[in-house]
Amino acid sequence: MESQPVAGSLTRPCIKCRAQEATLDSRSQTVCRDCFAKFISNKCIKQIGILGKEIRTPQGSTRRYLLGLSLGVSSTVLLHLLSENVEFQLARSRAAPFELTVVYVDSSCLFTPRSPDDSDEDKPDPITAETLEQLRQRYPRFTFQRVPLATALGLRTIDWSTIPGLTAAPSPSPSQTTRLLSLFDHLPSAAARADILHILTRHLLVSSAQTAGCHALLLGHSTTALAELTLSETAKGRGFALPWQINDGPLSVASYPASVPPASLLVYHPLRDILRKELAIYTALTSPPLTPASPSHGAGNNGSIEMTPRPGVVVSHKDVSIDDVMFRYFAEIEGNYPSVVANVARTTGKLLRLLGGGEADGEPKQGLCGLCGLCGMPRDEVGDRRWRGELGIGEGEKGGGLCYGCERSTRG
Amino acid sequence: MAPALCAICKTGRALIKRPKNHTKLCKSCFINIFEDEVHHTITSSQLFYPGEKVAIGASGGKDSTVLASVLKTLNERHGYGLELVLLSIDEGIKGYRDDSLETVKKNAVEYDMPLLVVGYDELYGWTMDQVVETIGKKGNCTYCGVFRRQALDRGAKMLGIRHVVTGHNADDVAETVLMNLLRGDLSRLSRSTSIVTGDNKSEVKRSKPLKYSYEKEIVLYAHHKKLEYFSTECIYSPEAFRGSARTLIKQLERVRPSAILDIVRSGEDMARLVPGESASSCGGCKSKTETPVAAPEDDAGGCGSSNGRNPGGEMAAMDKQLRENEEAEGLEVDITKLVLESKNRQKEKQRDSATKNGGGNPKPTTRQVLGKCQRCGYMSSQDTCQACTLLEGLNKNRPQIQI
Repeated sequence: MESQPVAGSLTRPCIKCRAQEATLDSRSQTVCRDCFAKFISNKCIKQIGILGKEIRTPQGSTRRYLLGLSLGVSSTVLLHLLSENVEFQLARSRAAPFELTVVYVDSSCLFTPRSPDDSDEDKPDPITAETLEQLRQRYPRFTFQRVPLATALGLRTIDWSTIPGLTAAPSPSPSQTTRLLSLFDHLPSAAARADILHILTRHLLVSSAQTAGCHALLLGHSTTALAELTLSETAKGRGFALPWQINDGPLSVASYPASVPPASLLVYHPLRDILRKELAIYTALTSPPLTPASPSHGAGNNGSIEMTPRPGVVVSHKDVSIDDVMFRYFAEIEGNYPSVVANVARTTGKLLRLLGGGEADGEPKQGLCGLCGLCGMPRDEVGDRRWRGELGIGEGEKGGGLCYGCERSTRG
Repeated sequence: MAPALCAICKTGRALIKRPKNHTKLCKSCFINIFEDEVHHTITSSQLFYPGEKVAIGASGGKDSTVLASVLKTLNERHGYGLELVLLSIDEGIKGYRDDSLETVKKNAVEYDMPLLVVGYDELYGWTMDQVVETIGKKGNCTYCGVFRRQALDRGAKMLGIRHVVTGHNADDVAETVLMNLLRGDLSRLSRSTSIVTGDNKSEVKRSKPLKYSYEKEIVLYAHHKKLEYFSTECIYSPEAFRGSARTLIKQLERVRPSAILDIVRSGEDMARLVPGESASSCGGCKSKTETPVAAPEDDAGGCGSSNGRNPGGEMAAMDKQLRENEEAEGLEVDITKLVLESKNRQKEKQRDSATKNGGGNPKPTTRQVLGKCQRCGYMSSQDTCQACTLLEGLNKNRPQIQI
C-alpha cells in the first residue's frame, strides 16, 4: 500500500481503506467510521437486491415495500439504510428502486394505565408521535402510518372464534381498545401477553402491506434477533413453524371466514447478516445520529418487549416473558461469541418449510386447514396427533384451530 | 385459612404444587399421576413387548432410581410382563463409584431385581485407574466419556439383553434440543429427541421412559416415595454449550413452567424438518418409513467432554472456528455461479421453480450415514467406533509383557 502515503501518518490506519484512523472494531478488524458504515450498508443492500430479483414488475411500475417500524434500533437503522439506497439511485438520475410505506404499530394502550373514561380512545402516545413526526420530516420520500394495536381486532387474517378471551361475551358494544385490553387480561401470563402482542403486531403489518398493495414486508430483525426468535419460538413450542418465521420468502396469509384461498406475501429480513451491537454502533455514525426509542418503550417486531407492570405491581419472574429471557441471554452471547449467534440463525435457515406436518411437497395447500387461526403459521398436524392427550396436559381439550404454541399462550 | 384441597381427589390436602403445570395436588394423587404419565408414554410409544427382558441403566442417581421404582410398580400394576434387571457400570475408579454402587445394591434388594455390575475392565480390558496410569490425568475424561456411552450397550449385549432403559428426563432432552440449536448441529437435533435409539434390528436398543418427566417431579417423586438415591453430580464441569443451555432452561421454566415440555415438543417437530431426515420422535408407531435410528452417541448425558474443564472454552473454540470459516468464504470464487450467469435463461427457469417451491426450501445437507463399527459391531458413523479407536491407542502403549 505504498501508493497511500497518508497511512504512514496515522497511528492506527483503517484495515480497509488505510486512509483514515481506525476507531471501530468490526468483526475483529479495526476500521474507520466510513468503512464500518459501508459494511453495514452493503450487507443490507445485498438482501434488498435479492428481494428485488424475486419481484418482477411490469414496465414503468415500481416495486412497493412496507417496512415494519418499531422505533427500536434495528428498524430505525433499516429505515435509514433504505432511504440512503433510494437517495443514492436518485442522485445518479436513476429511478427510485422502490416505494416505501413505513408502518408503526402503536401498542401504547397496553403500557399506559387505563383512564376510567375511554372517550379518549386511540390516543397516540405523545413521545412516539413526536419521534414519528421527526422521521416523517427526515425521510420525506416515504409514506408513514401509525396503526393502533386495537385495530387488529378488525382483522380478517385472524380466526377470532379460536381465541377464548373474546368469545366470552364482553359488555355491550365496547370500544376496540376496551376489547383489546380485555383480551390481554384473559391471557394466562406475561409470557403469553408478550407473545400475543408479537403476533398481533405482525398481523397488522402483514395486512397493512396487503392493503397498500405492497410486494413485500420488510422486518428489521438483526442476526441476533433471528437467533433469539429461533430459541424463543422453540421454547414456546412453535419449532415446527420456525422456518416460516426465520427465513425470507413467501408466506401464506389466510382470510376468515375461509371463503377465499390464502394470499401470499413476501416477508424479508434485510438486516439478517448484521449483529444487533453493530446496528447500535451504526446509529451514531449517521448525520444527524439516529435516535431510536429504548427497546422497552412500546413494542415492535424485533428486540425485546418488556411488559411494563401496572403501577404497584412488584416485578418478579411472573412479569418476565420468554422473549425477555432470550433477549438477555443473547445479549451476553453476542458480546463474547458473535459467530455462535450468527450460526444459530444460519442453521435454522436450513430447516424445511413443511405444511401440515406431512410431506415436503412444497406446493401450498389449498384451503386453510394447515394454518393456525391466530399466528397464521402452518400447523403441525402430525405432531398434534401424537401429542393429543400427552401426559396430562391438554387432556380432554379439543384442538380448536390453533397451533400448539398459540394454544399454550391463550389457554396456559 | 383452610388448607387447599387436592385438585384431583378434592379430599386430600394439597401439599404439592406440580412443577410441570402448578396444579396443587395431595401426595398420593401426585404419585399416581406421575406414574400414569410414564405409563402413557410407555404405551403410546409401545416401548415394550410382553416377556421382554429389560435392563435398567442404574447409576444410583435420582433418575435411574425413580425409573427402577416406577417401572417395577407399573410392571406389576399393568401386567407388562417385563423381566427387569438393574445394570450398573463400574468405571474402575477406586473410591469414586463405591458409594453409588452401594445405593444400587440396596435398591436391588428393595425392588427384588437382579443386579449386574459390569466393569470397564471386563468390557474394554482397562479400568479407568489403569487408563490414568498410562496416559496421565490430563485428557482421561475423553476415554471415560466414550467408554461410558457404549458401556451399557456392551454390558447388555454381554448379558444377552436387547433393551436398555435410561433415566433421561424432559429437562435433559430439552437441554439437548437447545444445545444443538446453539451448536447449529442439525443432524444431532434430528436424533436427540427420539424416545428410542436403535431399532428392533439392532443388537441393543435404548429408550427413555422418563423423557416427558420433569426433573423436579422426579426429585419430588423420590422424596415422597422415600426412595434412596445417591447424588451423582458429575465432578467435572459440564460442556459449555450444555451448561449454557441448562441455565437457560432453568430461567425459562421459571417464566413458564410448561417451557421444558414445549421445547421437547418443538424438538420433536423440528426433527422432521431437517433436510434428508425422516426421523419420527415416536419409536413404536407404525410409520411408513423406517423406524428412526439414532446413534446412541448422541444421547444426552452430563459428563464426558474433555473440553468441559474450562467453561466457555468450547464456545470460544467454536466461535473462532466459525470466524475462520467466514474469512475463508470471502476468498472463495463461486465458479458455478459465474457459469450460470452466462446462461441467463436457465437461471430464469431455476428461479421459477424456486418460487413455486413454497419458499424455496434449501437443498438437503449431507447427513451422516449410520453404520456399524467393524471391530465391535457397535453403531458408528465411522468404520471404527470411537471406543475402538481409543482402545487401539491404549493397547499400543501397553507393555508387551501382558500378552
